This record gives sequence, structure tokens and C-alpha cells, in this order.
Amino acid sequence: MTTTIDFRTAVREALDEELAADDRVIFFGEDVALAGGVFAVTPGLYEKYGPERVFDTPISELALAGAAFGAAISGLRPVVEIMFGDFLTLVMDSIVNQSTKYWFLTGEQVSVPLVFRSVVGAGGRFGAIHSQMPVSWFMGIPGLKIVTPATPADAKGLLRSAIQDDNPVLFFEHKRLYGITGDVDGELVPIGVARIAREGTDITIVSAMNGVHEALKAADVLASDGISSEVIDLRTLRPLDIPAVLASVAKTNRIVVVEEGPLTGGWAGEVLARVTEEGLGDLDDAWRIATAESPVPYSPPLEDAFLPGADRIASEVQRRLR
Amino acid sequence: MTATQDPSVVGETDLYLGLYRSMVLIRGFEDLIQSLFLRGEIYGTTHLYSGQEAVAVGVASVLEDRDRLAATYRGHGHALALGVDPQGLLDEMLGRATGVNGGRAGSMNINSPRDRLVGSFGIVGGTIAAATGVGLALKRVGGVAVCQFGDGAINQGYFYECLNFCTVLRLPVVFLCENNGYGEYTPFQDVTAGAIRARAEAMEVPAETVDGMSVVAVRAAAARAVTHARAGGGPYFIEAVTYRYVGHSRSDPGAYRPAGELDAWKERDPIPRLRGQLVDAGVEPNVVDAIDGEIGTLLEAITRKGLEAAFPEPRRTPEFSG
Amino acid sequence: MTSSVVRMPRLSDSMSEATIVGWLKQPGETFVRGEPLVEVETDKATIVYEAEVDGVLAEILVPEGATALLGEPIARLDAAGSDDSSEPTPMEGAAPEIERARASRATEPAHPVAALSVDAPAQSDSGTRARATPVARRTASQLGLSLYGLTGTGPGGRIRKLDVVRAGSAVGATTSSDLKGTTTQVPLSTTGRTIARRMSQSRTEIPSFEVVVQADMSTIVELRRNAVELVEMVPSVNDFVIRAAAMALREHPEFNSSFIDGQCERHSRVNVGVAVATADALLVPAVIDADVKNLSVIAAETRDLVARAQSRRLSPEELTASTFTVSNLGMFGVQSFTAVINPPQVAILAVGAVSRSPVESATGGVTFRDVATLTLTSDHRAVYGADAARFAARVRQLLEHPLALVL
Repeated sequence: MTTTIDFRTAVREALDEELAADDRVIFFGEDVALAGGVFAVTPGLYEKYGPERVFDTPISELALAGAAFGAAISGLRPVVEIMFGDFLTLVMDSIVNQSTKYWFLTGEQVSVPLVFRSVVGAGGRFGAIHSQMPVSWFMGIPGLKIVTPATPADAKGLLRSAIQDDNPVLFFEHKRLYGITGDVDGELVPIGVARIAREGTDITIVSAMNGVHEALKAADVLASDGISSEVIDLRTLRPLDIPAVLASVAKTNRIVVVEEGPLTGGWAGEVLARVTEEGLGDLDDAWRIATAESPVPYSPPLEDAFLPGADRIASEVQRRLR
Repeated sequence: MTATQDPSVVGETDLYLGLYRSMVLIRGFEDLIQSLFLRGEIYGTTHLYSGQEAVAVGVASVLEDRDRLAATYRGHGHALALGVDPQGLLDEMLGRATGVNGGRAGSMNINSPRDRLVGSFGIVGGTIAAATGVGLALKRVGGVAVCQFGDGAINQGYFYECLNFCTVLRLPVVFLCENNGYGEYTPFQDVTAGAIRARAEAMEVPAETVDGMSVVAVRAAAARAVTHARAGGGPYFIEAVTYRYVGHSRSDPGAYRPAGELDAWKERDPIPRLRGQLVDAGVEPNVVDAIDGEIGTLLEAITRKGLEAAFPEPRRTPEFSG
Repeated sequence: MTSSVVRMPRLSDSMSEATIVGWLKQPGETFVRGEPLVEVETDKATIVYEAEVDGVLAEILVPEGATALLGEPIARLDAAGSDDSSEPTPMEGAAPEIERARASRATEPAHPVAALSVDAPAQSDSGTRARATPVARRTASQLGLSLYGLTGTGPGGRIRKLDVVRAGSAVGATTSSDLKGTTTQVPLSTTGRTIARRMSQSRTEIPSFEVVVQADMSTIVELRRNAVELVEMVPSVNDFVIRAAAMALREHPEFNSSFIDGQCERHSRVNVGVAVATADALLVPAVIDADVKNLSVIAAETRDLVARAQSRRLSPEELTASTFTVSNLGMFGVQSFTAVINPPQVAILAVGAVSRSPVESATGGVTFRDVATLTLTSDHRAVYGADAARFAARVRQLLEHPLALVL
């Protein structure tokens, strides 16, 4: 049955369904239970499942991290909300030195089925330390999955897959997407598989989360200029669905990767590295669009100019293809 | 050396013979590790438990099958006390394929979930984080999680956050601080404000200081702690005052200790102390001697076998589970 | 079943790519080592490549008419005895057509003003290598276009696919004015590019000078006229010149040399190269040991070489063996011309038409004789004026007294 719902509702529904389906699933974080989350994503779950399954915690990211890890290796399937992705710095030690190493150190005996849900991204005028995109901080950690939906259908389908996944997963919800609506059929969406958001022949535009929507807007502008764009929504950033990107580049010969995040060390570089290694013969042009080497500014004109929006994507593609 | 006739020992000589054996095994094992390290058969670094045996053995003696323990990188004693096979433990440190973790973990990352050893954690305070989550899960089954840590860890963020977290959520976690007087090379008083136990008391967590050189005293304190936690009373804090007879790690000769300090502590060596108590309780000295002999033979045998064991073949390990 | 790949082999020492003229086996057919597998056109010749192992052709990766780079996989093979078994398809009847230029061409025949043999060691292209994307290179190969000289409009002047496609389209950009009419792009073939490169190099690097002699060919003309009734194949005027040059080379070994890295290397064999104009290239196959072959042998060989040059069936050895070159434009009525030296050779002899010219007779009057003008261009680093004069004089002498050519 297909419904049309918004992104935040999709997230809540996913949590609700997984809490209902598996008694081992628990959900905790700061202000998630009684208050229903600072972005109003999780109201009603505490009332439905009670404090043994859904509960609030002190402001203690180190303890949250330990609680998630220890519970996950002891038979539970914890989903933990880290209020802003910017706070993942505090959770980093446990993710790096505990959660993502346990499977290996136990000789593949004990897996770590945990999910950290976190709100990320700029455009909300939240300023430098509540607007970051933490993906690139985590790209180099073996054993970690990073899931980044762009639509309500993928938010629901991927969060359910993340909770059912036996590995540590970072699940990022872009704060600009909470209000967008879309059709949701309730199907599970596999982690690690990209989606062709729009087919085209002249250039492949690769992005994730909010960037996908900006790319689609740019594609409309480009179409009126005679340029046919193929837009790929990666949906998962670790592991990357490189075969999907390569297949597209074989067709278009041109790729631009749009990343909301600083250019240096970003995941866009990883995409281009793989495409260059594996698809060099198909390349006629390849570049990235990312943000400047600077923190996110607050004032609206500053923040808007900072982000890779549809206008910038369209004008860069036009310049390169003419 | 004085022997104290102790009513606890008198009533349970068999039990305490078992604890004696455990401590002798740990002491012998650590001496063996020391000599193998000097011969270059053990790599990197390792942290020896010599002198602190009574704490590991005393605590392990009160744990049930449903309980778990998280150890620090000075964890050999706890591993052996919990029942990890000495051959597997030795082989792991020799880097052999027959090691308890196949050579992947080494001394600082030893884990054996089936022996109730959650793991050894290299980040100071990591055990506390792990035990927090384990306790969250074990609450459902009436189990208790013990985290062992040193006097240095009580200055880490993990300690405060997790103690608070466990208290407000009433998690069954025993905080076992082995105060051996030194955080790595620094006397704890130089880097610690106030008293150790006072931190727990400030959070209204039941706390006691115990003679860590007496296995009888440690066992009794541990019993109180575990009972309290299991009953839903929340965390319990034990400060076991003890001493390590060797340097911080194998690469440390311990020259920072004041003259005479080591000798004073050697007079309180827990192993001869328990021997005396057993003999005073009526056990024949030759029974105790037989245990010494048995352990000596065991250690020789595992050494021979360990040094002949094969090294693991490098192979690609799966990044993800499932 | 094991699978392996056939890669474009190095069939000439200056090729970087070549075109598949025709597959001599089809997918599913077996072959044994030594059997012809595929016909390939390089920058110098069309060559049949023979299989190096026994096997079965599994898949053709580069079809007829397409170009592949040196080393690029052109087919997939399975080892003999594998079960990859489609029914062998019957070979197509006629021999495959040899395809040459794919772009449209101007219709007038190429007038070679210089003869070049392509026997120099492979030159590195680093100075002129175009900055182009992988897809641009592939497209250029497919269209048979040279990247050399293309303007790139990508970042940093990079040549992009768009630039190549534009260059390859039959109706090019009309930046020229209407006064010149419609502009048709005529790209260079692989061989044309090689020749262009080598001509530039020769003219730029070699300090050359010319020595001109006029040879009285009357005796040869008479001999030839009389020989028509005596032999089937009458040696051409050029054959006589080749023989004369070969003998002079034997006597003047400094002209039978290569100039390489500042040194003269004299060759013990005299191989005279004959410049042949083909439809889109200038090739110079050699008459090997021309100094020890008699005129009729030379005549037969030159005829054969010309025919095979026209059909691009020369071997790499034939195209790289010349130690000296003779170029003749007499058939076009050209009186004289200056040829361009083929490095690393040190000289080249250009032959003009035999024509009736007035000369002073023995009695002081004017008589008409058959005269040809020969222009010897020499590399002044290797030989000097007097050497060239003596050589040219000897050639003239031999031509004027052709009895010496048959002794």
C-alpha cells in the first residue's frame, strides 16, 4: 500500500515498525522519548513501547556511545539518536575503537547491530557547529556503513534495513529534508545500492541527500539548454555503489559529483578515484562541486552562497559542456 | 609474613584452594610472559598483572554465567580468572593461529565472549563504556556487568558520564577501580583531585574501599556489589587498593617508584597470604605445594606447545557481517 | 577452459596504433599456431598477423575498419580443446576489402615533393603529445583522426570528445569566409601523420645542400628502344638510375651511411630505396643489394615493389632497409626538383624527366640529346661539397656510359 508522507514521518514509521517487529530493538537518546525529539521525529514511540524500550538519556555522548556498543554486543539492537551530526565527534572514540572493530577482533563471532541516527546538513541557519556534514570524518573506518536517504521512501526503507543490518550503521537525516513529501510503499531498500533519479545521456551528476534535489533542479535547467543529465542518488555513501556510477559514465562519459561538505577529503573524491581507476577509458570530463574550505556561516546570503545549489550546478555544467 | 586465620577460608577451603590455584596460574603466566617478551617471542608491548591477582580472582569468583566482565589492556589476570584457556591466551600473545582470537587481537584486545570476557579495551575508560551497554542489555536477564579499570581512568570523561548514566537508569554495572597507585608512570595523587571513592559517593552510588591484596576481602566486597546491582539497585563502586609488582608495561622498568615501596608491598603478596590462610585453616601444605607444581608443569607445557604453534595465514577478512 | 586475449601487436617500429583491415578467422573457428588470424594496416604497410598459439577465436573485440592502439586487446581466444562451441561459421567468400581513409578526401592525387622512407628509429612523441581525455583519444582513433594540431576547448586546453567530433564531422566549422567556398576537413591518416612528422624533422634538423648534374641519357634511351624486341621486361630509366646509384654508392661508402647521434654509420650492404606514391602515402621500399643485382633483376623487383606498395603489402623489413633513396618525378614531366632527405640517410637523388635538349655537338654546332637533370641533396654533417660533386659526377658518368652498368 502506497502512502504519501513526509520524510520525518517516514523515519518514525520505520522505527515504529522495527520496534514492533523485534523485541531486541531499543531506541534512546537526548529528548527523544518524552519530548518526541527536537525535530519532532519520534513522538508517540515512548508512549507506545514504554521506558524499557524507548528512553531519554542525560547529555552524555560518551555514555550513549558505550551504551550502544555494549548493548549491541549483548543481544540487543539499539538505535541511538545523536541529536546533531556535529556531536558525533564525541561518539567517535567508541565507533572507531569499539563498535567497528569488534566483529574483526572476535574472529567474526560477535556482530554489532547498532544504528546511530543523526541530523546533518546546512541550510537551516543553525550555524557552524550544528550544520556540518560528518560523512567525510567517517569514510575511512572499515566496518562502518553510512546511509544517506534523499526521499521519504528511502528514509523509511533504508532505516528499516539499517536496523535489521548486523553492522554499525550511521543513518544521516538531512535537516532540510524533513518536510519533503513523497510516495512510500513500505518496501525495504537495500543498503549499498544507488538509484537513478533521472535518466540522461550527456552528463552524470552524482549526489546524496539534499544534493540530489538540487541536482534534479539543475537538470531541469540544463534540459532547457539541450543538455541531458543523468542524476544518480547514491543513497548509501559507505559502501559506495560504484558499479552504478561506472555504468552511467560509460554512457555519458562525463561525471560531476556534488557533495555538501568541504572539497578536501570528501566522499566525492572517493567516487572520482574509483571511477578513474575502473573507468578511465570512458572519461571525457570529471570534477567535483563541493563547499569551500571554511565553516558554515550563519547569515542567509552567506549560507546560501556557501552551499552547492541548483544554480551553481547548472552553470558549472553549462560552462564545462560548451 | 603473617598468616591470618580467616573464617571465610575455614568454611570453604576447596573454594579457596581453587582461588589459590587461579592466582598462582596468573602469577606464573605473567612471569612467563615477561620472559617470553625478553626473548622477543611476544611482540609490541604488554601490561602485566603481577601483584594484583587477588582482585581479578576475588571478583570472578562471585560472577554467574549470565554476568560479564570488561577488562582493560592489563587484562590477562581477569581473562584467566574468568576461565579463558591459558594455552589460547598464550598463543594469542605469541601471535599464533591457535590464539583465542586467532592472532588478530594480541595482548591489549583479548576477548572471549563465551568465557564472559567482553573484551580488553585499549582506550582508558573504554571498559566503562562497554560495560554500560552490556549492563543495559543484561538488565533484562538479571545479569551484572563488571568494568575493571585503573586509578587513571577515573579522570576520563567515560567514568563520569557512564557512572551518572548507569545511576539514573539503574543499570546493573559494578565499577571496579584497581587503584595500584600509578596511572602509567605517574602517582595518582599528582593527577587526581580529591579521593577516588568520593566521586561515586558524590553521585550517591554505594562505594567501598577494599584491601586489594586480600582475595578474601575482595571476594566479599564483590559479592556485596553484585548482589546490589543484580537486585536493581543500580551501580556499585569498589576501590581495590593494590600494587603492581612490575612496571606499567614490559618496556617500563619502574624506576619512578620510591625506594622500599616495592618491598613493602611484596610483604603483602596475596599469594603467600592465602597460602598461609589455607594452611591455618587446616589444609596440608603438600596439597598447596602440589598446586604450585601442577601450575609449573602446565606452564611449561603450554610454552612448548605455544612456541611450536603455527602462525596464521594472512587472508582477506570480510568487512561486514551478513 | 582458459581464455586469453590477443593484443594489437607491434608490426612496425613506429606504429602506436593500427587498423583492422580484416579478420581471417571468425568467432568459433579454430586455428593453429602460424595460421593467419587478422590483417592489420599500420602506418607503413598492411600486414597479416599470424596466430602465436593454437586456439579458438572466442570474440572479436575490435571489428574490421576500427583502429586499436598498440597493445590494446583486439580479440578473445579460448585455448584449443575448450568446449566453447558454436558451430564454426563458414568464412565469408571474398578476401576482405582493404579499407583506408574513412574521412572524405579531396580528389586530386597526392603530389609527393619529397620522398621519405620510414626507417628511422621510433621517435618519441613527447614534444607533440596532445593533452586529450581518454574518450577523446578513443573517438579520434575510431574516426581515424589525428589529435595532432587539434585545438582543445576543455579546461587548460584539454582536447575533449566534443573537439574531436567537431573535427571529424564532414561539414566542418564554417569559420572561413564565403570567398573560399565551403570548407571540408581532411584529416591525416596514420601514415600521413608519420610522414608529416618526419618531413618536418628532416627539414629542421639536417643542414642539406644540393648538387645538380645533367646526364646525357641518349644511350640509355636508345638501349631501351632496342631492348623492347629482345626482352619482355625492359628496365625503366629509373632502374638504370638505381643501378648507377648503387654502383656509385659502393665506390663512395660515405653516401651509403646513416647519420645518427652525431656519428656516421656506414652500411656494408647497398640498399637503394625507391620512392613510390600511393593513394594516400609515400612509401620507399628498398631494392636490397642493388649493387650486385643486374638490371633485369632490379627491373623485376622495382615493378613488384611498386605493385605491393600500391596495395600496401610491403613488409616492415622492406620499408626500413634503404641506405639511400632515389626519387623520380620524370613521369610527370618535371624537369628537376629537390627531394627531402630521409633521415637517418645522408643523401637522396631526385631524377627529373628525360627531355630533348640542345647541346653543343662535337663539331661545334647544336644537336639535340636526351637529357635528364639529377639533383643530389646531401647532409652537410656527413658529406661535403666535393664528396657530393664526385658522387654525382660518377652517377652521371655511369648513366652516360651504360655499358658500365651491365658489366
